Amino acid sequence: MTLDTGRFLPRDELEHLFTALQADGRRVVGPTVVDGAVVYDELTSPAQLPVGWESDTAPGKYRLRERGGERAFDYTIPVTSWKRFTHPAIVPLTRGRRDEGQVLVESVVPEAPRLAFVGVRACEVAALAIQTRAMRAGPLGDADHAARDEAALVVAVECATSTSTCFCTSMGTGPEVREGVDIVLSELDDGYVVRSGTPAGARLVQGLGLRPAAAAETARATAQVAAVRQAIGDPVAAEGLPGRLRAALDHPRWDQVAERCLACANCTLVCPTCFCTSVAVASDLDGVDGSTTRTWDSCFSLGFGRVAGEANFRPRVRDRYRQWLTHKFSTWWDQFGSTGCVGCGRCIAWCPVGIDVREELRAIAPADAPVGPIPWPRSPAAGRAPASLATVLPATHAVATVRALAAETADTTTLRLACSDPAILAAQPGQFVMVELPAFAVPPISISRMLPDGLELTVRAVGPATSAITSLPLGAEISLRGPMGRGWPVAEAYGRDVVIVAGGIGLAPLRPLIDRILTERPRFGAVRLYLGARTPQDRLFVHEMHALAGRADLQVTEIVDRAGPEWTGRVGVVTQLFDQATWNGARVTAYVCGPERMMQATAATLGRLGVRPAATWLTLERNMACGVGTCGHCQLGPFFVCRDGPVFSLAGLGDAFGREGL
Amino acid sequence: MTSQPWAAPVRHSPRATAPRRPRIGVVKFASCDGCQLTLLDLEDELLAIAERVDVVEFAEATSRRSAGPFDVLFVEGSISTEEQAEEIVRLRAVSTRLITIGACATAGGIQAIRNWFDHDAIRSAVYPQAEFVESLAMARPVADFVAVDGELRGCPISPAQLREFLIALVTGRRPQLPDEAVCLECKRRGVVCVAVARGVPCLGPVTRTGCGAICPAYGRGCYGCFGPREAANTASLAAWFSDDRSAHEVARLFSGFTAWSGPFRAQIDAHGGPPGPGEPQRELQDA
Amino acid sequence: MHDTGLPTGTSGDLVVDIAGLTRVEGEGSLRLRVRDGAVEEAHLEIFEAPRYFERLVVGRTPDEVIDIVARICGICPVAYQMTAVHAFEHGLGIPIDPQVRALRRLLYCGEWIESHALHVYLLHLPDFLGYASALELARDHRAAVEAGLNLKKAGNRIVELIGGRAIHPVSVRVGGFSRTFRKTEITSLREPLAAALEIALATVDLVAGLVPPDFQREARMVALRHPTEYPMNEGHIVSTDGLDLDPTDWTSEFHEGQVAWSHALQARSRDGRPYLLGPGSRLTLAADQLHPTAAAALARTGLAGEIRTNPYRSIVARAIELVDAVAEALDIVEAYQPPDRAATPWTPGPGRAAWATEAPRGMIFHAYQLDERGLIADARIVPPTSQNQAAIEADLTIFAPQVLGLPSDQATHRIEQLIRSYDPCISCATHFLQLHIEDVG
Repeated sequence: MTLDTGRFLPRDELEHLFTALQADGRRVVGPTVVDGAVVYDELTSPAQLPVGWESDTAPGKYRLRERGGERAFDYTIPVTSWKRFTHPAIVPLTRGRRDEGQVLVESVVPEAPRLAFVGVRACEVAALAIQTRAMRAGPLGDADHAARDEAALVVAVECATSTSTCFCTSMGTGPEVREGVDIVLSELDDGYVVRSGTPAGARLVQGLGLRPAAAAETARATAQVAAVRQAIGDPVAAEGLPGRLRAALDHPRWDQVAERCLACANCTLVCPTCFCTSVAVASDLDGVDGSTTRTWDSCFSLGFGRVAGEANFRPRVRDRYRQWLTHKFSTWWDQFGSTGCVGCGRCIAWCPVGIDVREELRAIAPADAPVGPIPWPRSPAAGRAPASLATVLPATHAVATVRALAAETADTTTLRLACSDPAILAAQPGQFVMVELPAFAVPPISISRMLPDGLELTVRAVGPATSAITSLPLGAEISLRGPMGRGWPVAEAYGRDVVIVAGGIGLAPLRPLIDRILTERPRFGAVRLYLGARTPQDRLFVHEMHALAGRADLQVTEIVDRAGPEWTGRVGVVTQLFDQATWNGARVTAYVCGPERMMQATAATLGRLGVRPAATWLTLERNMACGVGTCGHCQLGPFFVCRDGPVFSLAGLGDAFGREGL
Repeated sequence: MTSQPWAAPVRHSPRATAPRRPRIGVVKFASCDGCQLTLLDLEDELLAIAERVDVVEFAEATSRRSAGPFDVLFVEGSISTEEQAEEIVRLRAVSTRLITIGACATAGGIQAIRNWFDHDAIRSAVYPQAEFVESLAMARPVADFVAVDGELRGCPISPAQLREFLIALVTGRRPQLPDEAVCLECKRRGVVCVAVARGVPCLGPVTRTGCGAICPAYGRGCYGCFGPREAANTASLAAWFSDDRSAHEVARLFSGFTAWSGPFRAQIDAHGGPPGPGEPQRELQDA
Repeated sequence: MHDTGLPTGTSGDLVVDIAGLTRVEGEGSLRLRVRDGAVEEAHLEIFEAPRYFERLVVGRTPDEVIDIVARICGICPVAYQMTAVHAFEHGLGIPIDPQVRALRRLLYCGEWIESHALHVYLLHLPDFLGYASALELARDHRAAVEAGLNLKKAGNRIVELIGGRAIHPVSVRVGGFSRTFRKTEITSLREPLAAALEIALATVDLVAGLVPPDFQREARMVALRHPTEYPMNEGHIVSTDGLDLDPTDWTSEFHEGQVAWSHALQARSRDGRPYLLGPGSRLTLAADQLHPTAAAALARTGLAGEIRTNPYRSIVARAIELVDAVAEALDIVEAYQPPDRAATPWTPGPGRAAWATEAPRGMIFHAYQLDERGLIADARIVPPTSQNQAAIEADLTIFAPQVLGLPSDQATHRIEQLIRSYDPCISCATHFLQLHIEDVG
């Protein structure tokens, strides 16, 4: 809905707007001065607004100046962003109880207070919409964010001033407030031109009984914001920037900025669109009552890219800065179909050492720089509107019961679980579940077999959570969330030969695929399994694989990295099983799972044998806290490994696969 | 695909035997006692924790003594005498897990400032008959002498982190002690950055969080009492400080309770040494 | 840890060694030399490793000193911060807002409550009831120990609110505090303090009913005395034998010397006499300044005289001071209005800065010399425990013969219980300085 023509609210009647908002059952949140800065906080009266204050910003510097006068909105961007209220720093997620083997986990139902945001700038309006799209990109979204987003009424204020760190003009988000906003105010010396852009906004404005704005008033408002546009200019060459950044992943400037960057996460936390979070676990002393909480986190934190076993996908500050900048200005387009940056300039002002993203972009991806190689694919989510509120519900948790356990290796156990949840029972090969035991961290675990009445999970005990899972007794319950992710595309191999390469525990997510291929055996050509493991004692499903090897319609070969004298089989790396193969790679669809280096070596070997990248499928492992694409941990270039994967084709990944520190 | 008949279940649990209460010890070297006291400051949980663990050595709180063995030994204080250096080695041998608590044990503490100065001069300035007073030339962190299984940082340690550690110990999960900047805590709480908004020098960006961002919340800059975090880019922060400060003033900013930790020490050394009684004595090699 | 092996009817040389005192703060041991039933020597050996704070503060600014000296003691950091900050303000002529003064007193009340509750319930009470620790005491008397912990928590809440955290506060600055406090923040203390007052009064009843070993002696007692309030941040140095000194003037009457058996320098009068600080001394010299609620509680016990003469009665003195601190804190909370500004602006400069305040364990004295840049050139820090050491040893010399005839376990227990009566804070006691400060007026 485009904005309607304006009404006029005299300055001394601003109180009426507050009253109307409160009468609408809302608490008013707006700007106020605290501790030498403007922050957003709950307001009970317009007297608390930053009347007479202006702000100056520069890289690493923010100062308030008392200018006097009656204007209340001449400060510019405060340190807080509205995400404090739509995507709060700390949000309860689940409550769980584990008592005498019985487990129950439930999601906390979001409690979204009815709020009115007063003083939202054009860039912030854009930021709210951008975050909404990110949090509801689907198929599952963030229920808490959706509830808060819906419960907020936006009273925007069109900027009459700007500072040296603003660049909304370049990002196409301001300074004019355009459509889709409930109410927009333009502050003049003696009052406000008031427009509305939604039915809810129009209703409220109507209730104020204001006279129409005079032509001169409207003209002043328009001129005011035009002057701001003029003052800001066009500091960032945004046109074509995503492609240029895509080409610059190896630019030497990343190392240079890393020398200055403190990886302190300030930029991400003041950014109004950044949404990355982590999950914290709490419990009582006995581990009976547990809870999880979602907290703001940042891709700059060390632990953000870490997976079990201490591997870290972004160990260097250089990697993390590159992740942030390319996500914000490039891959956000691939993921969500819009810019991630709104040009508010907070990251420039609030960086403790004054790193200026405009300067970095000019250095890394100047207007005349080349555009990147084959662009990464655009996510289906990027073209869609945000998922409707009705589909964004708190997560459901399925209870499963331990029916059997089998020790596969010294540290790996397969649990057979009975479960009646229809979603779990409909899981596809290659999908995973989030395994919840109250009082413990929640790991993603691949499903290693589907059953008519349940599933199997093959779990390696690498830490306390996985150790607790693998030491559950028979009859104990556990809670599952899922299934999640894209599974192995079985139909891709119909009528073709199949090659399956498994390294170590990588065999676990491949096992349901093998099950499926065998139930539909006639639809495939030759089927070859190549199994690798560190030592003979590290092999999974030994009896099963032995039985498979006895079948005439499969070829199964195995190899171990090293072995003692009792081993009579082959010794070496798994690629040695097929690097001299004579089968026709062009007829092959390959499915590969194992440690990342093993997958890289396998992909290269398969490529040399003529297997096409579009026919080579991998499953990736990344740090996952939510499993549904809202915590941000599992990102790899433009991909959310949990949602766009974890199964990918080599062609789909392109150069995202195997690039260090991405 | 036929399923394999299941063998009798075999479990590989780290807690395969019936649980017994872990034996806990708390010992102190050169320190103020504040970190041990934080244990006693867990007023709401103290008795519940005492029921689930077996406190066999904690001189401040109980006359019950033990020389070990310990399942978990908490060590407070820096190593400052020959006797302490021997004792920590003995304690390491009888402890399954040795956890250092506080800036003195993890970083040498404020007393490590003396490491930059002539020890004999300091000792005789304080004690007229210095031969009666035994101490090493340096105050060193425990990890300089023995392997350490975990640490709780801070001066003093944070009651919340201690609580988290103890609950994790009793329930068997991993303690969540994030290695991130104080800045994340400030921003989560909504504290206005004192450095950017008021120009107050603050070590928050290079200091490990855990305190809950107390100092900025109380209107002053962080002074680094939890020590440097991972990837602490103190060189960059020092360069920023240097814009309107002398080298000695920059060194002063890093010369706090964890001054001896690598990234802080590097900046102190690069900017002329810490404040103290006289001139810093030497260019320090790896101590 | 006990290995006394005291036979009855001692004769000949006998060395009684209690290695490693427990339930005291810090590391100390007691060594007695007994000959023919008389104690020849009592040495309180402090082997707490020295940390040389008097040298660590050289070259620092006054605000840095406030942060640093807190680390002398984890139980009484506020005492060090208060003494230092008042010394600098007095020495540099910096006035403070009356509401800042009130907040400082409230902060000190918080520490007194936390420290005294810790001592009474966790360190000393187990002795009287025959337990090795409060943890074991709690198995049979859980409600009492929980009450004590809640009382301690109330004290910690005050320090956390005003200081930022319970141990090593961050907000004390020369001229005031690093921030102001809204009235609603301060009045949030009302409820926990009201509950704490009930517990404090019950504590008085509990400890007044304990039967201590019979040990009477007259000691020379020293404390601060203020014309209108129970001594904390301000007052003259007075004694039971007529001393009256300005709080900056400690060195005119007292001095410290080193002894071979201790890392702590011992303070005595310049004429060599020991003296005693602490709750017992304060009550003896300033009981008329107690809050009415505490004065009434003291009167109800009828033990004012015994508090003066029997060190074991210090547990009652601490309980009375608990009542006083809680009651005063409540009054300050009710009367509080935010000051106009958090701190008075000031400029650094040279001079002598000295002051004494009353830490929970007794009087504490600091003196600093500031150079022309306003940085510390010299420092002297005299904690209460080092001042008490000579008196503790003197008392032990008198007391020990009484218990030599007892079975060794009991004798050891009684001696430890006596040492604990002084609430020695041993981590503090090793920071003596010996530098003479030139008084440049």
